[in-house]
Amino acid sequence: MDQVTSDAARLASTLDVVLERLERARPFSKQSLQRPVLDVLARLIAVPDGLAPVYARAERMDRAGLFKGSDWDVPNALLPQLTCRTLEGDDRLLAALETASLMRFLAVATGEAQHPVLQRDYARHFLTQVLALNLPRFFEFSDEASREKGEHTAVAARILRLIAERIGLRDVLGVMVAEIWRILEQRPVQMGPVKEMITQIAVALNRQGSEPGSERLGAERLVSALFGPTAETLDDPGLTAYLARLDHMDDAALSREAMGFARSMHDTGLVSDYHVGFLLWALDYPDRPLVPETLGLGSTGLDCWRHYRGLIEDLIRAGVTPSTPQALYGLAMMMERGVLHSPPIPPALRRVLTIDLAPAVRDRLALGFGAQPTPETHLVSGILEVIGLPLGVGQGANPTCQSARAISMWALNDPDYLLHLVVQAAEAETVLMNFEGTPIQSADLPAGLAGFGPIDADPVSVLLVPHLDRIYAEMGRICAVRPGDPHRWINPEFHGWWVGRECSVAVDVATGMLDAYDVFVARFYQSYHPGYNGDRPLIHPQPAGIAFTDSTGTFIGWHAITILRVAPGRSGEIRVYFYNPNNDSGQDWGHGVNVTTGGNGERHGEGSLEFEHFLSRLYLFHDQPHQPERIKSVETAAVNRVRSMAVESWAQEKATPLQPARQL
Amino acid sequence: MTDHDPSKGYVALLGWSLNAIDAVDRFDRRYVVVAPPWAEEYCSQNGIPFIPWDFDRLNERSHELAHRLKDEGVDVAIPLYEETVEWAGAINAVLLKNPRLLGQSMLFRDKSLMKRRAQLGGIRVGVFEEAHDRGDVIRFLKRVNQTLLKLDGDPNDPIHFKAFDKSGTAGHRVIRSPEDVDNIPDEEFPALLESHLDGWEFAVEAWIKDRKIQFLNISEYVTLGYSVFVPATPELEAHRARVTEEIEKLIEAFDIEFGFIHPEYFLTSDNKLYFGEVAYRPPGFKALELIERAYGFNGYQALVLMFDPHTTQDEIDAFFPEEVTGAKGHAGCFGVYPRRRVVSKLEIPADTANDPYFEWHELAEPMEQKVAKRSAFGTHWGLAYFFGEDPHRLRDLLKAQEELDFYV
Repeated sequence: MDQVTSDAARLASTLDVVLERLERARPFSKQSLQRPVLDVLARLIAVPDGLAPVYARAERMDRAGLFKGSDWDVPNALLPQLTCRTLEGDDRLLAALETASLMRFLAVATGEAQHPVLQRDYARHFLTQVLALNLPRFFEFSDEASREKGEHTAVAARILRLIAERIGLRDVLGVMVAEIWRILEQRPVQMGPVKEMITQIAVALNRQGSEPGSERLGAERLVSALFGPTAETLDDPGLTAYLARLDHMDDAALSREAMGFARSMHDTGLVSDYHVGFLLWALDYPDRPLVPETLGLGSTGLDCWRHYRGLIEDLIRAGVTPSTPQALYGLAMMMERGVLHSPPIPPALRRVLTIDLAPAVRDRLALGFGAQPTPETHLVSGILEVIGLPLGVGQGANPTCQSARAISMWALNDPDYLLHLVVQAAEAETVLMNFEGTPIQSADLPAGLAGFGPIDADPVSVLLVPHLDRIYAEMGRICAVRPGDPHRWINPEFHGWWVGRECSVAVDVATGMLDAYDVFVARFYQSYHPGYNGDRPLIHPQPAGIAFTDSTGTFIGWHAITILRVAPGRSGEIRVYFYNPNNDSGQDWGHGVNVTTGGNGERHGEGSLEFEHFLSRLYLFHDQPHQPERIKSVETAAVNRVRSMAVESWAQEKATPLQPARQL
Repeated sequence: MTDHDPSKGYVALLGWSLNAIDAVDRFDRRYVVVAPPWAEEYCSQNGIPFIPWDFDRLNERSHELAHRLKDEGVDVAIPLYEETVEWAGAINAVLLKNPRLLGQSMLFRDKSLMKRRAQLGGIRVGVFEEAHDRGDVIRFLKRVNQTLLKLDGDPNDPIHFKAFDKSGTAGHRVIRSPEDVDNIPDEEFPALLESHLDGWEFAVEAWIKDRKIQFLNISEYVTLGYSVFVPATPELEAHRARVTEEIEKLIEAFDIEFGFIHPEYFLTSDNKLYFGEVAYRPPGFKALELIERAYGFNGYQALVLMFDPHTTQDEIDAFFPEEVTGAKGHAGCFGVYPRRRVVSKLEIPADTANDPYFEWHELAEPMEQKVAKRSAFGTHWGLAYFFGEDPHRLRDLLKAQEELDFYV
């Protein structure tokens, strides 16, 4: 054998040997011959120049039956979100399979290969999404997680770069920009990932350049919101140089800067570091005339500024720093909400400014957010953001939807209680709640669902969720002996007095079968739909449970949400507006049930569905006892429509024989 | 199944081997698979012609199967496993109207009969004896070592213990002490006992038609039970003429008209060839795959050619390449056994992974962390395949694998 042949050439010829065997084999014995192909592939893609021979053989490998018997055999059903996890995963054979599959998509996307079911446009769109979802990866800007993976990440980056070279970045930018705008529209508290993506776009634009076009324009708008939102920051001069410029500006120019920052922030929800620099500078400016302008306050916010100027200045100094820029937006929105006019709030915020963090709490916050600036700063900034943007609270990658929902609900409806809990947890490392008169101390309880709690969430969640999670689990234990769904008792005790005392559940807990579903459906109409409940609005946010389904309508699990309001959408159709703690409300729940986060009258952070669509995925809700006077009966047809949507999706195996809808 | 040539025979494959079915399905003969009923669903799903049959001990029902195949129009039955050799003999006795074929197959199935028959045929064999219980084994161990003029306390020369009807290294034990004898389970009796021969062990694959060797391959063992490669080194191939003579003796002794045999030999330091044993079926250890990698022809298809009574000599001559010189290189494989007592994962040693001769492996992640102690030669956990031009480099590379950990 020729010793000077490159590894890639040698492995490519070995690949041909195993590939020929696979090609020759009858369909029934393909699977036993796939493994050697994958073994050789895995080694080939890991060597320099190893991808080109894989790409050259992509169509052959597909035809030879490499994907037969696996999920990859149906390319149209693959999910771009899963691609990189597989590429970087520990199973090298699966990574090889994924690579072969991507190369097949690429060959089809570039028109070099044909596929019986995979269309060229679809292949191109799929790869675009893969790139958009993994932009940070393919420029090899490593974060902690990818650093750990080392070699696997480098291989994944090479694969993504090859794809980008062949199909161009233009589409990718378009997809990413649309995705970022969609997320920004929801105004999440956790802005890290979005800012990271925008930074990657900035770098990509800078390095690659790109064809001019609307994609570039949209991308540049995002980049400028972060790195150059005003006339004087447009050239991204650096914070020190920028602050030096301010000393030479007249009042008109300063005011223009302040308004530029404010406009950009309220437009996108993004806060530029320059904005923070400017606000802190404006705070020391005589008489601080620029502060309300910099915050972009409307009349309510301005009124708060006039009344509570001293407190607000202190909050800014304590919580708004170049490391916590989003606190600035949180503060502005908190002022706009007018909650400072609620008597306990100003002293409760003062109390927060004098918190003495318990050492363990300090360590925990430092673990989640770094020791610089101080954990106290992070906590204050988190409080400003959570109270300013109650619907922006997300559970992170943790199974703690209940706790995230509770924090959001308190921030919205009972912010002084939330601040009370924060102080308890931060200083005494415990949270006290009562369950039907029995006190429950979180400090006395073992760890709950989330173990010792998340650290990939906002500071308030990092602080509170471990306690809430344990209390929630304890309430569950107390209710375990009771028949029926425990949330009936837990929800009011856990969240607050405003949770309706009646509770309807679509499923019989013991059997898992639908239980009097038609009654359930009609009752929800009569409690929540303005056309059936006597046009009475929902007053307090109500916890509810949904049967979460994926884009094919397949049942995934039970999930906690908050019903916020039921109101007409843009074209007059009645919609349910709700909060979903899972970081991104925009989701396809299958069979046409598409949760929208904008365009249908949603406020920032709300998701919405048409009333019946929502109801078809609902399985638990609370309400008050009905007063019969204004209530309208529900048409059988409406109940049947909801029932069939439920039965076609999550309730497929839970359905009992159809019962005639009763008129209630 | 591709269109088959109606002028050719119709063969029955006895036993379940997906590789064999795949190869024969791609060949030009009509075929039917005769295998246990659990394969039925798979066959019907995949359009594989199938007759369900339980191959237990040969019994009076062999006649039933033979006639069923005869009615089906089958010309000949091909055994794929040791357990189906005597079935093939019984069936072919009927199909080919040659009652001697049954008796012949019994010789292949009983290691003791086989050895005696070879000896009668003038073939050199080592000292051997039958053992029915552990006492027989201890007696043989003592007698052999007495003959070797060992004193009490000298380390014993080992003897070999082979269950009568097991194939390959299954049921093959090396016995050095009475303690080893205690470890033999009851079900492995009766067995054949053989003296140990120091020497160069190798196997031969011979495809035979019309009492003539049509293709002869020598598989060189690097270490028995671990590694083998084909074609052999020039040093071993130098003995090809003598090996061919030995195979011809086997053809005479066992009266082999057609088929495929797979004997093992020892070449001792005094340059004598000793016959070990012979099987009338495809070898284990993926030898046919190695031959295909080296020579490019499919061994199972070659098997069909040998068994089919309608095969012509021209067809055979066109099918096989030149022996030795017709090979594109040397192909070998290494059977991996975990070396540690506790393992957690599969990790191909860097030296192996980076070697240009290394091609691929069929090793799986460990199912259990604790590695069972090996008693007999045991079963390897999977094979790693190698290919290259230099047989000596390949041999040394295969040897070197024994010192490497694939499971850590």
